[in-house]
Amino acid sequence: MTVAAPRPRPARQAPTDFTLPVGRAAIDEVAPIDGTTDWLPADRQAAFDAFEALPAESNVLYTTYIDLRSAQLGAAGLVSSPRADPVSTELPDGTDGLIVIDEGDIVGVALSPAATAAGVEFTTIADLASRDPERVRALLEGGSALPSDDRFAQLTRALWTQGVVLDIPAGVSLTQPVIIRWAAGAADRALLSRTIIALGDGAGAVVLEELVGSDGTGPDGGQSFLAGTLEVTLGRDAKLEVASLQELPTTTVAFQHRNAVIGEGATLHWALAQLGSHLVRSRVDNRLEGDRSSVEQVEIVFGGTDQLFDLTSYTHHIGRDTTGNLLSKGALLDRARSFMKGMIVIDRSAVGTDSFLGEFGMNLSKATRSVAIPSLEIDQPDCRRAAHASSVGPIDESQLFYLESRGIPPDEARRMIVLGFLEPVVARVPHADARERLRDLLEQKWDAGIGAGAVSTA
Amino acid sequence: MSATREIVTDQRDQFAFHDDIAYLAETKRGLTRATVEEISSFKNEPDWMLQYRLRAFEHFGKRPMPTWTDGLDKIDFDKIVYYRKPSEREEKSWDDVPDKIKETFERLGIPEAERKFLAGVGAQYDSEVVYHSVKEELSKLGVVFMGTDQALIEYPDIFRKYFGTVVPAEDNKFSALNAAVWSGGSFVYIPKDVEVPLPLQAYFRINGENTGQFERTLIVVEEGAKVHYIEGCTAPIYATESLHVAVVEVVALPGSKVRYTTIQNWSNDVYNLVTKRAHAYANSTVEWIDANTGSRKTVKFPAIYLRGEGATADIISVAVAGKGQHQDTGAKAVHLAPNTRSRIVSKSVSKDGGRATYRGHLKVSPGATNVVASVRCDALMLDDISRSDTYPYIDIQEDDTSMTHEATVGKVSAEQVFYLMSRGLTENEATNLIVQGFLEVFTKELPMEYAIEFNRLVKLEMEGSLG
Repeated sequence: MTVAAPRPRPARQAPTDFTLPVGRAAIDEVAPIDGTTDWLPADRQAAFDAFEALPAESNVLYTTYIDLRSAQLGAAGLVSSPRADPVSTELPDGTDGLIVIDEGDIVGVALSPAATAAGVEFTTIADLASRDPERVRALLEGGSALPSDDRFAQLTRALWTQGVVLDIPAGVSLTQPVIIRWAAGAADRALLSRTIIALGDGAGAVVLEELVGSDGTGPDGGQSFLAGTLEVTLGRDAKLEVASLQELPTTTVAFQHRNAVIGEGATLHWALAQLGSHLVRSRVDNRLEGDRSSVEQVEIVFGGTDQLFDLTSYTHHIGRDTTGNLLSKGALLDRARSFMKGMIVIDRSAVGTDSFLGEFGMNLSKATRSVAIPSLEIDQPDCRRAAHASSVGPIDESQLFYLESRGIPPDEARRMIVLGFLEPVVARVPHADARERLRDLLEQKWDAGIGAGAVSTA
Repeated sequence: MSATREIVTDQRDQFAFHDDIAYLAETKRGLTRATVEEISSFKNEPDWMLQYRLRAFEHFGKRPMPTWTDGLDKIDFDKIVYYRKPSEREEKSWDDVPDKIKETFERLGIPEAERKFLAGVGAQYDSEVVYHSVKEELSKLGVVFMGTDQALIEYPDIFRKYFGTVVPAEDNKFSALNAAVWSGGSFVYIPKDVEVPLPLQAYFRINGENTGQFERTLIVVEEGAKVHYIEGCTAPIYATESLHVAVVEVVALPGSKVRYTTIQNWSNDVYNLVTKRAHAYANSTVEWIDANTGSRKTVKFPAIYLRGEGATADIISVAVAGKGQHQDTGAKAVHLAPNTRSRIVSKSVSKDGGRATYRGHLKVSPGATNVVASVRCDALMLDDISRSDTYPYIDIQEDDTSMTHEATVGKVSAEQVFYLMSRGLTENEATNLIVQGFLEVFTKELPMEYAIEFNRLVKLEMEGSLG
């Protein structure tokens, strides 16, 4: 009798181990960008130092809720020299600009004549650097718009190879949305990117970010990795709306860092929808530096299968009479998990703050898991409001009863309630076509969940 | 402004005293394996307890210091005396208690409290229970209320069955420390279907500079039984750090009801690091009523594990953080069974640069269906040099849980103060009244004597900040 050799076991992976095979040498493989060679390599090295020194989660409040084990990126190769020369494309109706990036390569750029005439820059970082290297250096160097305590933000700062700039001069307002579309998902590709949005005093813009599957996406093969930043600086009285629709294929691991420095009297609206990816780790930092600045953020998660959404929001009140209003909602099907971590910090200087954080979850199946950590750190009691609320519950029986009493069948009623729960973000998506597509995606996901028996029936 | 009317007088010195006691036995400063062995041999313990202590000591050494709260690295474990024994044996009668110790208790008002209505008194003087009495009728009912050391000898079976089952030595660094050097504390056993009509009370106090106090309390309530246990703490004020590391274990068997009330008023140099946990079995009710006004730093999150179907958890946690204080308090409810309920109410006041932190954990495990849970935390900040933090952790792993959480932070409203002042109160009195009203959710749960004492403590705290 022979004894069978033991089955090979996969290497043990701790929840914080990150499997992307990158070393310092990867920095040298990144294609140089004209106009930045005198400072960018050193900036990348500094960021890589930080990446190596930092823990996966630097906030000890959250260390027990980090789980990167579903990211299996051992075979992923870095996209090191993507195409960055602008290729013109047709501008869709109802928009002021469009950039399309496919698996890292730029495949289309368009900007309305009016915006071009007003001095708006909407292009790749490499393109702007070839024409105005000083501006690029001012926007990027030091990564000051990225959290210095975040390991993965620093990784992105070290190894980004593609980037987009939207630079709007003072007093210029774009009336129609600009679209930034990233297509990704091909097996074993890792793309790290930066997106810079700078609005001068009194400027205004509406940005729609679309994260979609690329043509190279297949059901088989390895995972792909997409890390992206959105680094926002708002001048005095500037107004920015950002909507993001994340519908990447479920073979994708997505890391997102959105950081906003909000000037005096400026307002920022975020509407973030998370539907796709296998593992999403997202962090939003809102720094309300200017007096009377305000931020409103609505975020929805509609998770299914074994998706994991790890979402953190920091709202830092620094100026006087600032306003923060954050709402996160998650509906989970099947075995999906969501970690919603929120932190409101009110400095002693932030007299007259009004800050609210709401985290609400709906677990639609027994194997789901919702974690909510809505935190407050307050050094200034003279606030208009400093509060948070959270709830997790099933579909409300009384709402169901009401709809059924109006003749709506139970399945249809449940669908209406769940989609209604997520509607606050849908309604904020600026472009009509995108809004409709988001509604369609939500409905499709619900129907697929029902079909797969991923929803508990009451 | 100070239109001072002496309605509130500063009586802090009444609580701040230090008696020179001749200790009969004490360990050297610092903690080694020999210290642990010495404590065990002082107590003539069975070998299993010595082995348990040594295992815990090993674990304490290996476990890193927690970093999620700050300031614990300032504790110098080598400066602490881990065991002191002030008198030879458990005293059965008040008359036999040494005069010097009795005098200390007189000043704390224990005999009156006992005469009035309390069912039993267990007073802890440093590390040993020196005085204990349980009313005759309770003894006849089979109620056991005695020092934990004594219970280890007299009720070895019950003791060993439950000791360390709710809070294992390896639970955290400080539960390991307590398990290694524990001494004193209360042991309560309520037999099946017995309802204890009056609260059981134990007074704890620390005496002696740098004396660690490591009491261990174990409460076992059999099926259908009911009990209310109260502890209050006062301690003399010293300039150097003292350390209080306690473990409280409550076992609420099916259908029982347990209420555990604490008023913690350690002096402002004490590190108060307590692990309090209850296991609630089917259809039982456990209530933690917990107030923290004293200490330099308190880290305490009364926890209830709802293990049996239909169990109920109720936690009211109150903290007042003054100058130099950090109250890192909160509550935990862990739902492990269907149809369980929990309610957490937390109120904190921070002032004069104090920091109040609410840290909560609410967990609904897979299989715990039809859970209803609510958390409410409110914080009041009296000035802008103080700080208030809220860190709730909510982890829901079922699809039919109904969970709500709300938190607010605010200040005393100028309108309320103005209204009360227009009725003739000074600003100090008005603020005091508003703070007392804010904390009433806690105060109203206390027996009257305690409510009076607690309001007096709050007034004393307020005296320090205003007027």
